[in-house]
Amino acid sequence: MTKKIKNIIILAAIATCAIVLFFWLGAPKKNTEISKGQIKDVKTLAQLCTVDLYNEVPVLDTINNKVLFAVQKQRGSVSFDLENMQVNTDGDTVKIVLSPEIVEINEATEDNSWQVIDSKNLSFNPLASDKLTDKEENQIKAKIKANSKKILYHNGTIERARAEGVKNLQTLMTKVYRKPVVVTDPTPKGAHYDENK
Amino acid sequence: MKLPKTLLVGTGMLLLVGCSKTDNTELYQEIKSVDKMVFATMAITKTAKMESSGWYTVGKRIAVYSYDSYMRAYIDLSALQMDDLVFDETNKTVKVTLPPVITEITGRDMEMRKEYENIGMLRQDLDSKERAEIKEQANKSFKEEVEENPMFKEQLTEAAKRKARKYFEAIFESNGYTPSIDFKS
Repeated sequence: MTKKIKNIIILAAIATCAIVLFFWLGAPKKNTEISKGQIKDVKTLAQLCTVDLYNEVPVLDTINNKVLFAVQKQRGSVSFDLENMQVNTDGDTVKIVLSPEIVEINEATEDNSWQVIDSKNLSFNPLASDKLTDKEENQIKAKIKANSKKILYHNGTIERARAEGVKNLQTLMTKVYRKPVVVTDPTPKGAHYDENK
Repeated sequence: MKLPKTLLVGTGMLLLVGCSKTDNTELYQEIKSVDKMVFATMAITKTAKMESSGWYTVGKRIAVYSYDSYMRAYIDLSALQMDDLVFDETNKTVKVTLPPVITEITGRDMEMRKEYENIGMLRQDLDSKERAEIKEQANKSFKEEVEENPMFKEQLTEAAKRKARKYFEAIFESNGYTPSIDFKS
């Protein structure tokens, strides 16, 4: 009887070792190689940036019967092109018309700026994959970007950025021209307000 | 007691099926008023290759993705003082001392470009979590590179200084002054 128990213990120990070894050696090893950063382009411009923003947004979207839930950190800005601005220096007063806003929203570079929580398949086929393809994921991200832009028009950020633009431009140009400067804004709610309703 | 349970499950399923609209109401938002004059931007491409293999796996599982990160160079206009512009009416010249050029990372592409993929018949496709992991590693490497290799900031700063000079020269010349433009360090 004692011998039997001994054999069972030995067998259990061997089995445990085999399981540990299987998982230790068995899990496919992931090897990631990152290339050095390559400068793609350097652009010169002249833009007045009046608002910097940082967002953390939950992302819940469905595409091709697949649901993705993630959290994204975003960085963005609202700027104005100074080179294509209407400036009239004739006369005693400098007249400037504020140009359309340039709204930029990117994924942030803070740690875990794109954190995928879960994905699931909604179809009735139990064998259907719950994995989103890179194209599906990119489509969702394009929608996030468009949505985040819309929010900026709705929550008054663009209006605020344009008002700051008028004020900052007036201060700068008064120093430069040393005459009274009047900056007008033809679209205080945003030049692209209607597209982002 | 069965009815409420069924109703609950049904409502839950409907809610899940019905969430076809992107929901991204902010968890947190920070909006900051700034007064920056941006003169140059830089796009930097990072490429990452992921390969996974084990002793029992059959077939390859290789994926290569790339995306761009962005930097910009600007001067802080709120630091520009009245005495940074010295006009000489006799000679019609102006000496301008602009605030220093500052560089910063402004973010990265949301989307990733698939450059190459070789997934064997018996291997699993990459999922969103794995792609996010790859991006996270590439991002870490990008930030280290920007800190350790001054080339990125230097090139961007030089481009911004050239453009700033050009921009202000054009304004002052159109106003009848010959400018000499410098930057604070």
